[in-house]
Amino acid sequence: MKTFYLALKYLAVTLWSAFVIFPFLWMLSTSFKSQNAVTGGATWIPWAQFEPSLAGWKSLFGGVGGINIVKPYINSVIVTGTASVIALVLGTLAAYGLSRFTFRAGPIRNADITFFFISQRIMPPIVLAIPFFLMLRWLGLLDSLPGLILVYVAALMPIAVWVMVDFFNTIPRALDEMAWLDGCTPVTTFLRVILPNVAPGLVVAGMFCLIFGWNDFFFAFTLTFTQTQLLPVSIVALNSSVTPWWSLSAAAIVSVAPLAVLAFVVERFLARGGLAGAVR
Amino acid sequence: MAEIRLETLAHRYSPHGAYALKPLDMTWRSGGTYALLGPSGCGKSTMLNIISGLIHPSEGRVLFDGRDVAAFDTGRRKIAQVFQVPVIYRSMTVGQNLGFPLVCQGAPAAHRRKRVETIADRLGLGAVLNRPANALTADQKQLVSLGRGLVREDVAAILLDEPLTVIDPQQKFDLRRILKEINVEFGVTMVLVTHDQTEAMTFAEEVIVMNMGEVVQAGTPRELFEHPATRHVGSFIGAPAMNFLAAVAQDGQAMVPGTGLALPLPADVGSGSGPGPGEALTLGFRPEHLQLAGKDAALSGTVTRIWFEGLDEIIALSHPAGEIRLRAPAGTGLSPGDHAGIVPEPGRLRLYVADRLAG
Ligand SMILES: Nc1ncnc2c1ncn2[C@@H]1O[C@H](COP(=O)(O)OP(=O)(O)O)[C@@H](O)[C@H]1O
Ligand SMILES: [Mg+2]
Repeated sequence: MKTFYLALKYLAVTLWSAFVIFPFLWMLSTSFKSQNAVTGGATWIPWAQFEPSLAGWKSLFGGVGGINIVKPYINSVIVTGTASVIALVLGTLAAYGLSRFTFRAGPIRNADITFFFISQRIMPPIVLAIPFFLMLRWLGLLDSLPGLILVYVAALMPIAVWVMVDFFNTIPRALDEMAWLDGCTPVTTFLRVILPNVAPGLVVAGMFCLIFGWNDFFFAFTLTFTQTQLLPVSIVALNSSVTPWWSLSAAAIVSVAPLAVLAFVVERFLARGGLAGAVR
Repeated sequence: MAEIRLETLAHRYSPHGAYALKPLDMTWRSGGTYALLGPSGCGKSTMLNIISGLIHPSEGRVLFDGRDVAAFDTGRRKIAQVFQVPVIYRSMTVGQNLGFPLVCQGAPAAHRRKRVETIADRLGLGAVLNRPANALTADQKQLVSLGRGLVREDVAAILLDEPLTVIDPQQKFDLRRILKEINVEFGVTMVLVTHDQTEAMTFAEEVIVMNMGEVVQAGTPRELFEHPATRHVGSFIGAPAMNFLAAVAQDGQAMVPGTGLALPLPADVGSGSGPGPGEALTLGFRPEHLQLAGKDAALSGTVTRIWFEGLDEIIALSHPAGEIRLRAPAGTGLSPGDHAGIVPEPGRLRLYVADRLAG
């Protein structure tokens, strides 16, 4: 009986895995196809069912009908990474303040400030496009990496604040008081006592920042012209009147790869008990 | 180690709200043991938090060795506080917890290690130094909190805010003993907050009884026992509580009719015709200060209940003036329904005018 259930469990897991992996496998297979292989009905196995071609992969490096995505790729890594780190640092500091100190300006209280941060993500990005465009032009940062980093920090910080306020609120205030009694300043209290307790929160918030930053197309598209290009924009630029499925598939694989690695690492961290004891 | 003086100290949590702590003056000598005793919500924690700087008092001053500490934030006051619910740094080991105040001070690592080992050995935590602090039992966590206070040689005082509430009775006893020993060995001022009168009376050289944000009486356990300043203190301190019987004024005396109990009225009470309105007279006496006598004594009553307390028994007598309890050595041979006479020890009667000790 036990074996039966075990078999059933494995069957379910296998089916689900197949369901999830299927699009990736097809993407992988498509990236090695040519025009004929794509239009000739669904095929899977190279050599047996279709003649593999490296054209799709070559086009990612400036091959025939392609665009060199190496530079945009590096740009995306720089912009997403830098913006995420800055957003995480600023957002964590802001969240600690919002969780521990009382602010009031007229009728505005801590909860309102927290909601203000979150509301930045509720607004459709299109609302922000023109203000951001004008501001970057005024700063002379249009079509540049620093300009994009600035905008991404503004877009990612609400996520960090939102996640971290919740995490800080689960840490009892008595811990801060104990640290003060032991001779800590507010800054050392934060760094030495509180921060180690919210490490899982930092991981979660950091992961969200990286994912949202990496996947953003809208700001990358509206705030750049020719000098600076990010990965999502250059992938779209790969498209042409005859859709190059092979190039797009190859591009999709390389662009999703870092997120897959990230997801794997975070999953390991959480499985190892990274979240254990995060909440009392 | 410092002398702590509170000068007209008071606190309200909101500018025009009620006093959580009414104005009070108090001096705690360096190295002394004190207990704040009072029911929940009477302002005990508020007082401690003001001393440690976690709360800024709305009125008055706190002085350490004569120096106003208003400008010193919590970290610079060198106060250790142990809370009701154990607070430990979960991300650190026991050793790191104990050494943390020294890390904050920037003490050299060698000195830190030595101090931590000394304190850990003294508190019996030597074996668990490298364990995560989170894995300890509640009483061990309280010891860690205490140890964090002791690890600093210059700690001004250790404030204990009901630290024994969540501890099992047996460990409670041990912890209380350790606290006493630590006080003697390290000469550190200790203030214990509690709502358990036995805990307060056995721990402290001076007990401060509080009620409704007010210090009702401060004195040695003996003073509190023999001269309770109010009826409230008399009822709160001692088990069973003090006996109180309503008295009337007659011929310059306060007397309880039908008991022969009487005390001269102080000159300032009422006019010749008796006490004024709101000056209710009460005579109080401790169950410990009564002795059994023959049935024909001036004061007698019917035994209603008897509680056995080891070497003693507590006997409740009913009397028209009210219930009277006395503590007598076990083996009185009395049983409920018997008639018994009692005589108070001379000089043990106390007169209360409007619930306050007179004279
Ligand atoms: N943070 C606070 N804000 C407003 N009122 C408070 C606060 N803390 C305590 N109080 C009030 O002050 C009074 C004294 O509280 P506290 O000092 O905690 O009493 P105790 O420690 O003796 O139980 C209580 O009436 C309580 O309701
Ligand atoms: Mg309290």
